[in-house]
Amino acid sequence: MQLSDRLTGGVIATLGSLAFFYGSKLPPVPGQQVGPAAFPMVVGAGLVICGALIIFGIGRHFEEVAEADVASHTAPELLEPLPAWKNWLALLPPALLVFYALASERLGFLPTTAIMIAAASFAFGARAKLAIPLAIIAPFFINLIFLKLLRVPLPGGLLPFPW
Amino acid sequence: MNTVIQAFGLVFQPDVMIAIFASAVYGLTVGSLPGLSATMATALLVPVTFYLSPIAAVATIITASAMAIFSGDIPGCLLRIPGTPASAAYTDEAYAMTRKGQAETALGICLWFSALGGIAGTLSLMLIAPLLAEMALSFSTYENFWLAMLGLMCATLVARSSPIKAIAAMLLGLLIACVGIDNPGGVARFTLGSTDLLGGIEVIPALVGVFALAEVMRSLTEREPPKLEHRRLGGILKGQWELTKKYPKQQARGNIIGIIIGVLPGAGADMAAWVSYAMAKRFSKTPEKFGTGHPEGLIEAGASNNASLASGWVPALLFGIPGDTITAIAIGVLYMKGLNPGPTLFTEQASSMYALYIIFILGNIIMIPLGIIMIRLASRVVGAPRSAVMPVIMIFCAVGAFATAGNNLFAVYCVAAFGLIGFVMEKNGYPVAAMVLGIVMGTMVEQSFVTSLIKSDGSMLPFFSRPVASVLAAMTFAALLWPVFSWSMQKLRARRVAAA
Repeated sequence: MQLSDRLTGGVIATLGSLAFFYGSKLPPVPGQQVGPAAFPMVVGAGLVICGALIIFGIGRHFEEVAEADVASHTAPELLEPLPAWKNWLALLPPALLVFYALASERLGFLPTTAIMIAAASFAFGARAKLAIPLAIIAPFFINLIFLKLLRVPLPGGLLPFPW
Repeated sequence: MNTVIQAFGLVFQPDVMIAIFASAVYGLTVGSLPGLSATMATALLVPVTFYLSPIAAVATIITASAMAIFSGDIPGCLLRIPGTPASAAYTDEAYAMTRKGQAETALGICLWFSALGGIAGTLSLMLIAPLLAEMALSFSTYENFWLAMLGLMCATLVARSSPIKAIAAMLLGLLIACVGIDNPGGVARFTLGSTDLLGGIEVIPALVGVFALAEVMRSLTEREPPKLEHRRLGGILKGQWELTKKYPKQQARGNIIGIIIGVLPGAGADMAAWVSYAMAKRFSKTPEKFGTGHPEGLIEAGASNNASLASGWVPALLFGIPGDTITAIAIGVLYMKGLNPGPTLFTEQASSMYALYIIFILGNIIMIPLGIIMIRLASRVVGAPRSAVMPVIMIFCAVGAFATAGNNLFAVYCVAAFGLIGFVMEKNGYPVAAMVLGIVMGTMVEQSFVTSLIKSDGSMLPFFSRPVASVLAAMTFAALLWPVFSWSMQKLRARRVAAA
């Protein structure tokens, strides 16, 4: 997920200009000079300036100093780069949360989280011997804590909590 | 005196005691697991605090965070992997001591001086906060605006990254806080037609995403830490008293720096440890010993990060400005429990404030026995496989956010989105702590800004003409321009060296 400064700076500047124009369209409070438009416009303008400075690489020097400092305090074997596909694996947890939001009402808490835990555990390189029992036991305990102790209405779905 | 007795009565309740003990065990466990930070431990506690009494809720946050900052030192000592970012600055040193066969001394230093630092920080909180509260009572919206701006600028200044990126991250946070109808005109802003966004983006799901889910994501892209072998440890506290007497100056300096950094908004325990370690080395009579397993830096930095924890509550309690990422979460809990931050908290709810101090002291005292037990059990806990811990944390992220946001599934989407944002920002050098500060303080900044402008009929003059406001404004601009100044000083020095 290492992106170039040009790209991230560009995204920030675009976001800032969108915020500025969107903000300027907001209706004013009758009889007053400043209203809900002022703050988004100021923030948007700030973002545009920052984005432009980042594109031109200003302030990069400070980052290099900090990076070198961290690197000198870390064990060298932890700094070796991992294969690129591992970076994409990082998208799995948010994807699983979206899955939870979409499926938990229908499937129920226990089955949904069992699937999520199994998937994440395998992604971390667990063997089936660990991942499967974990996926069965952990949702049960979490359900117990939140449903019974904290009284959060977790969805029952296909497989409601047994008591 | 009456309020103090009342405060003791508030703290020594069975539910508060249980909350302190349980959150201490929780904090020690989470802190000692590599890759799980103290902030994450605190963020995941919030849904639980919902169901506790106000004092018990605050007690869980205080105890868990203090314990997690200490126990982050354990894997640092034994494995050379910091359990929390706050231990990163001196992990090398602690590990070097372990290699010399002094693991118990290193762990003892971390424990003993963490507790002492925590108590020093608490004393500073007891001393500074009421003094500032008197002053803060006379502040108007102009002063509040500059104070908030100064807080935001400090957060960008101390971020260990490019200051421009830090400011961009902070502005992004302010923009996120603009979403919804909670603004001066009461109009729907940036809601893109979604009814879920009308209420704005809730702080807790955003924090859980940025600090907990993003860490799960990051650990997927990193190597599994090596296994910890079982090791026989001698007396943990043996020799600590001698060290306390031998290095009084280092301790005092560590405590003071920790306190100052804690009070600065946005800068927390990790920053305190980095600065204190560097200071210890700079002023040491034997700087060449640093990095070879020398206790000096360990004492100073270990005390410093725990001292910063308590003093971080000063701006949080007084102004609602978080002193670090942990108090950013704590502020949310304070509001939830009717302990709204502000100078009046110290006059109207004095007994609650005293209770808070007592909890801090109590937490740092029980840290010693519980910490020793934790160190003895470390080989079991630290060895817990990542593939079992992280998936469970991910579920806690989802359920916790769902519970805090009024049982709304939209919060789960928020966590996913902020996890992604936090992960990408972190990888590209944008400090997420600055963004979080922007989100937490956005509404307050906007309110004081717009109200001030309405009062002055659109004129900027009163922002600078009132005495306290002008001082705060000058400090804000100084913080803004400081990176430029330090950069040009470096250039100048380099040129002089080249010329010589």
